[in-house]
Amino acid sequence: MNIKIKVNSKNYELEVEPNLLLVELLRDRLLLTGTKNACNSGECGSCTVIMNGKSILSCLTLACDCDGAEILTIEGLAESDNSLHPIQEAFVNKGAIQCGFCTPGMILSTKYLLDTNPNPTEEEIKQGLTGNICRCTGYVKIIEAVKDAAEKLRILNE
Amino acid sequence: MNEFLSVGKSVPYIDAKDKSRGQAIYTFDMKLPGMLVGKFLRSAHAHAIIKNINTAKALKLKGVHAIITRDDTHKIKYGSNSYFFPFTDDQYPLATDKVRYIGEEVAAVCAETEEIAEEAIKLIEVEYEILPAVFDPILAMKPDAPKIQSSRNNVAVMIPALAGDVDKGFAHSDYICEAEFKLPSQAHVSLEPHVALAKYEEGKITLWASTQAPFRIRENLAKTLKMDQKDIRVIKPHVGGGFGGKLEMLPLDFCACLLAKKSGRPVKFCLSREEEFLYTRRKHPMIFKLKAGASRDGKIQAISGEVIADGGAYCSYGPTVVAAAIMRIGMVYKLENVKIFGYRVYTNNPISGAIRGFGGAQSGFAFESLMDMLACGIGMDGAEFRMRNATDPNFTAFNGMEITSNGLKDCIKLACEKTEWKKLKQDKNKEGFGIGIAIAADVMGSKMYKSHESAGTVIRIEEDGSVIIFTGSADIGQGSNTTMAIIAAEVLGIDLSRIRVVAADTETTPFDTGSFASRVTFISGNATKRAAEDARKQIDEIVAKHWNLPIERIVHKKELIVDRDNEYNQMSFLDAVKLCYSFDFGKMIIGRGVYNPPTKPVDLRTGKGNVSAGYSFEAQIVSVHVDKETGKVTILDITDAHDIGRAINPIAVEGQIEGSLYLGIGYTLWEDLKFKDGIGINPTLFSYRVPRSTDMPPINSIFVETDDKEGPYGAKGMAESALLPTSAAVANAIYDAVGVRITSLPITPEKILQALKNKPV
Repeated sequence: MNIKIKVNSKNYELEVEPNLLLVELLRDRLLLTGTKNACNSGECGSCTVIMNGKSILSCLTLACDCDGAEILTIEGLAESDNSLHPIQEAFVNKGAIQCGFCTPGMILSTKYLLDTNPNPTEEEIKQGLTGNICRCTGYVKIIEAVKDAAEKLRILNE
Repeated sequence: MNEFLSVGKSVPYIDAKDKSRGQAIYTFDMKLPGMLVGKFLRSAHAHAIIKNINTAKALKLKGVHAIITRDDTHKIKYGSNSYFFPFTDDQYPLATDKVRYIGEEVAAVCAETEEIAEEAIKLIEVEYEILPAVFDPILAMKPDAPKIQSSRNNVAVMIPALAGDVDKGFAHSDYICEAEFKLPSQAHVSLEPHVALAKYEEGKITLWASTQAPFRIRENLAKTLKMDQKDIRVIKPHVGGGFGGKLEMLPLDFCACLLAKKSGRPVKFCLSREEEFLYTRRKHPMIFKLKAGASRDGKIQAISGEVIADGGAYCSYGPTVVAAAIMRIGMVYKLENVKIFGYRVYTNNPISGAIRGFGGAQSGFAFESLMDMLACGIGMDGAEFRMRNATDPNFTAFNGMEITSNGLKDCIKLACEKTEWKKLKQDKNKEGFGIGIAIAADVMGSKMYKSHESAGTVIRIEEDGSVIIFTGSADIGQGSNTTMAIIAAEVLGIDLSRIRVVAADTETTPFDTGSFASRVTFISGNATKRAAEDARKQIDEIVAKHWNLPIERIVHKKELIVDRDNEYNQMSFLDAVKLCYSFDFGKMIIGRGVYNPPTKPVDLRTGKGNVSAGYSFEAQIVSVHVDKETGKVTILDITDAHDIGRAINPIAVEGQIEGSLYLGIGYTLWEDLKFKDGIGINPTLFSYRVPRSTDMPPINSIFVETDDKEGPYGAKGMAESALLPTSAAVANAIYDAVGVRITSLPITPEKILQALKNKPV
């Protein structure tokens, strides 16, 4: 079937199979391989993207259900190819990235968290990231990075 | 305050920006033109003779390009402990005579799509003669048990730890305790699964692999494919986590190469999450039956017992895992009388292998629980008891391990101070709250599969002042590329921004055994330091000639080359490099460095030898709350005081400690990879519980910097060891809180409630 979809501010009109997953569309058709599918069953959060302002699991979402939707992936988060979004910057500077495989999903979950709750408590940060598995960092530096990003974004938005 | 320019100052990983943008390329993300999908036919039987394999129907399926079975291979066995235990090279890359566990690779297909490959797999017909199987290592050791490999009583390897006279030691003991500890299996759960992408061109193979040890894969590919190593190139792109699970050639590497050769097209295998859990590698389940005695003055008089490890159907790293499990105690305690035997046993379960901790998580739980029981038995405080018996600097252990720098006692002291140990221990009104201590030590490197453990680095300094490091070490997310850059920057006195790192490509970088045993900072770091020193010397010679000074007077400061005795006499690093390449000198700057740690071979009859050129130490204190109604254990905080020699990149050291502890916490409370009759019970992230962001307690890391004489800038390895004491520290804290001793992992609410019920009033 034919769908219209906006990914990272770019419009696409695509012919998709009815069983094609959004993560497959992003990775295989649009070559946006930043989005990962580490478990393909909605358990690890590595496939997290933002759809119409909400974080979703692209491995549990059919591409055909995204007709008319606006998708943001990790590749579209920063303003330009040379810059970093404040969340990305915080993850880099706070040592929140080791192997990096969970990072795109983790950063987009953080984006959704801070969009909806710009001033989260530590407990709210932990709750907000509970769907994203990281096997390297023990989440310690990720939580620090989210706090740091929240502060920077609050200052930017003032 | 340190005198260093770069060492000891936290910097973000040099690849972190790319990773934050989703631009880092993993093997998982790679595609080549014409690439085919590889899939396995796996054994449905735990133990059976393969009578016949018929691929005719599958080959007729449209879209199938090639199928391989045992008949396409050279039928050469390989293994991972080839140097110490050559007879444990016991696995064929595709099942040949028998299958020995459910899931063993019997045939491999490459096809246009995943769906076609899966359809083809179903069309392959295999005729088996089913054999009796055994899944319990204790039953497997009985004389009438089914024979899995050629070894007697299914014991692949028996490893001793022997010293003194334990009978005499027990006779001198005022208190003796005996206990049995049972440890389960744990999965690595690297987020990037095992992936292998192979291309065959004009007699040469290129393999991109998600690996911790590209040179090891090359070696075993050459052996099993009967090819020269020069015709095989293994490249490690970014790796999405390893944790010990990506240290070997697995059948997917071999089959990707062979299918690429047979089909003439690139072939990619990418394991599913279920395959990751069940058919790669996993932690050895172990049983410890131990007895220990101490005299009233707190001295450990004797330890004896046996360790039985369920290694599964093939050895993998099992023999060295069992050796490591029983050897570590000699790094931690001054012991005179020891008699422990470790058995690595074959069963028809999937293969156990290396995983972060390398036997030490299991033995840490057993020995450190036992030490608390001993301390308790003689009425001594657990921390004091450990202080009394802990090893010292410049100490040779009962098993020949030569400890040099050693901050263990400082670690205990600092952890106790930080947590107000004494005050909390003496508090008698702490209903449900408790505090526990455990200590550990670890190696940095061990010659697991080769006679040497060399690492090499080449450093090229270009005319524009840029510095390129070529290192064989494999950055798998632990930040070793950044560590190599910091070390080179320190030697050359330059800014990190000048440096690029090319790593872990068997064709373009020097040899390195791989990322395991906390060896990379220590061993590859030394090679990089030497390469940078060699390059610096080449520059200094030219500058000295230019200034007409003796070379000793040339020193490097932040981006400057300076005359030591006249600071006004200086030039920028870039000008110095340009001088080297100028008409007068015309010299390219290429530095080389190699390092092979000085160790002594282990005598396998006695277990004596010196496996590492340095040892790291730690003390961990955990506080817990135990809910007596529900049995729920909550870890409130963890303090880890760690002798790391020196922190090259402190933020990375913290990250390694936190990540290691994370695996330790998971193993202590939840993670339990279960099999029944060889069939996996919980191979999903839904049924196998890994810790989430909400599960992590606050972690206090205390660095003890002992400035090791062998390590680069005094640094030691430390990435594995933080998880070694965690389980015992938690169990000891639970004992402190509610007076029950849990002797198996994971520590579930059910076990707590049962123990409370059985507790004598």
